[in-house]
Amino acid sequence: MKKKHRETAAEAIERLPLVTASQAKARAEALPSVQGLRLKTYDPAADNVRKFLDLLAERMTRPVAVSLVACVHCGLCVDSCHYALTHPGDPTMTPVYKADQIRRIFKRRMDWTGRIFPWWVRAGSPADDADLNRLKNIVFGTCSACRRCTLNCPMAVDTAVLIRFTRGLLTELGIVPEGVFNVSRDEWETGNQMAVTPLDYLETLQWMRDDLRSDPKLAELDIPIDVPDCDFMYTINPREIKFDPRSIAHAAKIFHLAGERWTMPSRGWDQTNFGLFSGDNRLGGFLAKNLYEEAVRLRAGRIVISECGHGFRSTRWEGYDWAEYDQDLPSESVVRTLKRYLEDGRIRVDKAKNALPVTFHDSCNIARSGGMTEEPRFVLNRVCADFREMTPNRTENYCCTGGGGLLSMAEYRPLRMEAAAIKARQLEATGAKLVCTMCHNCVDGLNDVIKHYKLDMRVVQVLELVENALVY
Amino acid sequence: MSPLLEFVEDTLQLAALTFMAGVYMIRVSWIFRFHAVRERSRAEGRAEAGIGYSLSNIALPWAMESTRRDFFFYLQFVVFHLGVAAAIAVTFIIPYAPRWLQPKGVVIGIQILMGLALAVAVVRLVRRLRSATLRSVSTPDDYAAILLMMAYFVLAILAVPNRPDRGEGPMIAFFILTAFFLFYVPFSKISHYLYYPFARFFLGRSLGRRGVLPAREK
Repeated sequence: MKKKHRETAAEAIERLPLVTASQAKARAEALPSVQGLRLKTYDPAADNVRKFLDLLAERMTRPVAVSLVACVHCGLCVDSCHYALTHPGDPTMTPVYKADQIRRIFKRRMDWTGRIFPWWVRAGSPADDADLNRLKNIVFGTCSACRRCTLNCPMAVDTAVLIRFTRGLLTELGIVPEGVFNVSRDEWETGNQMAVTPLDYLETLQWMRDDLRSDPKLAELDIPIDVPDCDFMYTINPREIKFDPRSIAHAAKIFHLAGERWTMPSRGWDQTNFGLFSGDNRLGGFLAKNLYEEAVRLRAGRIVISECGHGFRSTRWEGYDWAEYDQDLPSESVVRTLKRYLEDGRIRVDKAKNALPVTFHDSCNIARSGGMTEEPRFVLNRVCADFREMTPNRTENYCCTGGGGLLSMAEYRPLRMEAAAIKARQLEATGAKLVCTMCHNCVDGLNDVIKHYKLDMRVVQVLELVENALVY
Repeated sequence: MSPLLEFVEDTLQLAALTFMAGVYMIRVSWIFRFHAVRERSRAEGRAEAGIGYSLSNIALPWAMESTRRDFFFYLQFVVFHLGVAAAIAVTFIIPYAPRWLQPKGVVIGIQILMGLALAVAVVRLVRRLRSATLRSVSTPDDYAAILLMMAYFVLAILAVPNRPDRGEGPMIAFFILTAFFLFYVPFSKISHYLYYPFARFFLGRSLGRRGVLPAREK
């Protein structure tokens, strides 16, 4: 009797259809970004495979090409990936398999052995749009681009870069998850990823300011807008306006007590950047340039980036390349600013106020792709009575599972939650009651993990703990 | 020594080496045809330090969790590649510096090294065949590479005593296989060593500027 094939999680993911309802709506509404061909929509009548292959050749860079040719299929990446570790019997969950999906196309199209003897290196081209959709589901749905495999590859194959590169090609064809399209649309149309209106933004800041002023000791506090010549311009994640403005209040209070000269811009304030996730460098450049130019307009001394992993990576590192903009002002994470305040004695804290055991989750974009691992630890050791490391940590930490834009792609959530088992075990082993992270995506990703695996802990951010420890 | 052995030891090797060098030059220029990446952010770390660390990764088994956890795998890598280096060295030593192989201890030492490398190759082949993951991503090129290397180690072990008077067959086969490698390698995964410095350079430069590499003490 023939054994019945049990569908793997990845096979189910690969079959997910391309949903284009939002794209159709955007076309019907003649949105400027669609009309101006900045935001691409799917055209079933187009020769999308040809376009994909042409884009592949046109956009190829040296680091991407080298990562495509260097893999020796040794399999060492397998044990570094949270998807692979939680699906041990499923080869399609491994970084090497995912990278091979673009590698085989590259080899068929551009590599000499693959062009002449494709069967020898298993090179092959997508046959139709269904194949491109399958590729979409792999690169968007089965990898959070955390770069853990990159740092564990003896050949330095940067699978996360390959994933982003492939996402960028598909984005150009409109073959993207609906969530990616929606966020990209909002960013192109409104300049921020949650379509926050200028009025919402300003009113929320005023609300936070008024709320803080109800404390008599903070009666003079202000959340300045568009004040020129300040020491820094503070930029935030739209999630802070939309869902959790307390973080803005925490920052404002700390800046005030530190005697800081700071401002927020009235526009170009969104430090997040979905271009990092969609692979769309034009979108990335558009958003990053808005922010950089605003800082120049306000003659700010530097740019300070609120707690956000991909926002930090995009604004501090990648955005300058996407925008083709040579960095002209220093930029830093607010956690570095906090560290300076503590070192200089500009704020006073009492760690006894944070008595619960706290562990720290390193955001992939900040640690592995941003180089910042020690500053948050310095701060947490100063403001928490019981700080404990999780294992592994720093550049070896596991992803919160919400990275790579996956939080906006609901269709991949079941697989993401399966892959989160490793994160859940890691969190639980610390025995901490609070898990601190300096990334809004990680806050949501970790909250999902905690809820799904019923862990007895809560997610906090560095600003919250510092604010709670303030003595004034 | 027969004219055939003399030919495969010298003329054929030089022709094959010239061919490989030419193809590699084309290959490197092919890499440089793609867009360069210019980073416009201000560095916080040192690109040179990152590059140096990344390139020396090969000798830092503690640098990566993957090799730190599975030191035996790293050890296999070292033995296998030392065996490869020894086999390649033998192709030059036999025709151009045969006296280096006169001490019996040297010959036996090289044979032991290549024997160990052969054992590793067998282990690697079994691993590739047994692991569902590796089977699913392996190409004919992957299998050919390991099988060819196994054959190469066997022939190298037989050739290294450099005693054509006892029979030229193994030596002729060894040098013909060497020439075949030189022609074939640029088109196979075995040429990964050509890409290694580039891949490590690009990653090291990027992460070195950001202060990610060299990795900090935990």
